[in-house]
Amino acid sequence: MSLPKLNANSFEEKIYDAGEACLVVFSRKTCHVCKEVVPKVEELQPQYEGKFGFYHVDVEEDKPLYQSLSLKGVPQILFFKDGEYQGKLTGNVDDEEIEEKIEEFL
Amino acid sequence: MENSYDLIIIGGGPAGLTAAIYGGRAKLKTLVINKGTVGGLVNTTREIVNYPGYGQVSGEDLMKDFKKHVESFGVELLRDQVVRTDFSQEDKIITTKKGKVFSAKAIIIACGSEPRLLDIPGEKRLRGSGVAYCATCDAEFFEGEGVVVVGSGDQAIEEGMYITKFARKVTVIVLHDEGILDCNKVSAERAFQNGKMEFIWNSTLEEVLGQDNVEGVKIKNLKTGGSTELSCQGVFFFVGMVPSTHFLKESGIEMDRRGYIPVNELMETNLEGVYAVGDNRVKYLRQVVSAAGDGAAAAVAAERYIEEMKAFNSNVLESDKQVLLLFFNALDNESLEFSTLLENVNKELMERYKIVKVDMTTKKNLAHKYAIEKAPSVMVLDKGQVVMRLDCSAAKEDLKSQLC
Repeated sequence: MSLPKLNANSFEEKIYDAGEACLVVFSRKTCHVCKEVVPKVEELQPQYEGKFGFYHVDVEEDKPLYQSLSLKGVPQILFFKDGEYQGKLTGNVDDEEIEEKIEEFL
Repeated sequence: MENSYDLIIIGGGPAGLTAAIYGGRAKLKTLVINKGTVGGLVNTTREIVNYPGYGQVSGEDLMKDFKKHVESFGVELLRDQVVRTDFSQEDKIITTKKGKVFSAKAIIIACGSEPRLLDIPGEKRLRGSGVAYCATCDAEFFEGEGVVVVGSGDQAIEEGMYITKFARKVTVIVLHDEGILDCNKVSAERAFQNGKMEFIWNSTLEEVLGQDNVEGVKIKNLKTGGSTELSCQGVFFFVGMVPSTHFLKESGIEMDRRGYIPVNELMETNLEGVYAVGDNRVKYLRQVVSAAGDGAAAAVAAERYIEEMKAFNSNVLESDKQVLLLFFNALDNESLEFSTLLENVNKELMERYKIVKVDMTTKKNLAHKYAIEKAPSVMVLDKGQVVMRLDCSAAKEDLKSQLC
């Protein structure tokens, strides 16, 4: 996993306090769809370096975090800007869909 | 060429990986292109108890062993997705999503299948917000809640029981009459004894309800035609699979109505040098063990096909002399006698020609290529170009005069 990992504390800091435009991938190790989606996100990161934040949350390690967001499945990509939730992509999404969504916030 | 291979296998599940083991062992330059995790859908199976030699193993661990085995034979694995194919030439061309282009002498299609969508209102919109397809991935999100499972096959019932570890209640929607499930008997008995499992018979799902998250489902009774609503927080769909063969629609490969590829015993499709194995082909039993069997058969067939092509190229296409390409049937006396006659005539002509014999019963591809229907048949070739077809019914002197 090459994306910076967030836990409940750093999630608060990065997403809500700093208000950076970013995405957060929620996944778990035992999920095969996550294993398809996460590498797609990882490959996109370099081209948005400095412009858009990329983070990762392992739901097995941070149970309170996904519970507080009342998530109902993985993989799930949540988008944030100015400390506010903007929308999500769920399931086996294509790289094009992720890119399109990112472009909305640039 | 760096991107040219003997054998390219599309898909890295048990069928593709077994084909890769056989390909690697036969010293074919082999590449496996796989879009997700190596092992494919088997990775979602928590427990496999019917793969010989493994009493009990998880799908993921079994596939790790398959992968290790593949790598020990020097096969290359690439994580990418095939988006386009051109199977019209002897060298088959494959283009991937990342824009890479590969060529191979033979192709094995082992891309498997994916969960079927029921395609009802709410299903797509609430995906990831209560609608789910994988219990291992998502069951935990429904701790203490009500969950609906659609389907009654092995996967539906076994996954349903797994979900009861987290959910308060699991309601299974079954198409059939009371007491009838499509799954194996052991699982059915366990499910009926599970206090958290409930069943709604003769029914199907009509709609998934909810604004931002799943709040309930609309269930249709197939006997009465009436609809009822049931409140729940999650819906898991296990309504069968569809083959992942959409990318082959333009390839010229024959498929049935649902997208499964029909093959013969050698796993040959209607296209020469293209094979289909595992869950994406028309077959009776879709299990890891039968997928592995498919992969082995296809790789051996592909190896023979490639060998046949290479031998033909060096013997016939690169020959300085003109070639008499004799198609014969090794089990037929007339064929054998004709073969001797042709040898004698060539001797009398001071070995003017090079005779290359092709047994029609085993080398069907070549016979097909030259539109040969009966044995014996002879083509005269010059650097691979057909110069003449001999009349094989003629007597010796006639035969000789045709060749002078």
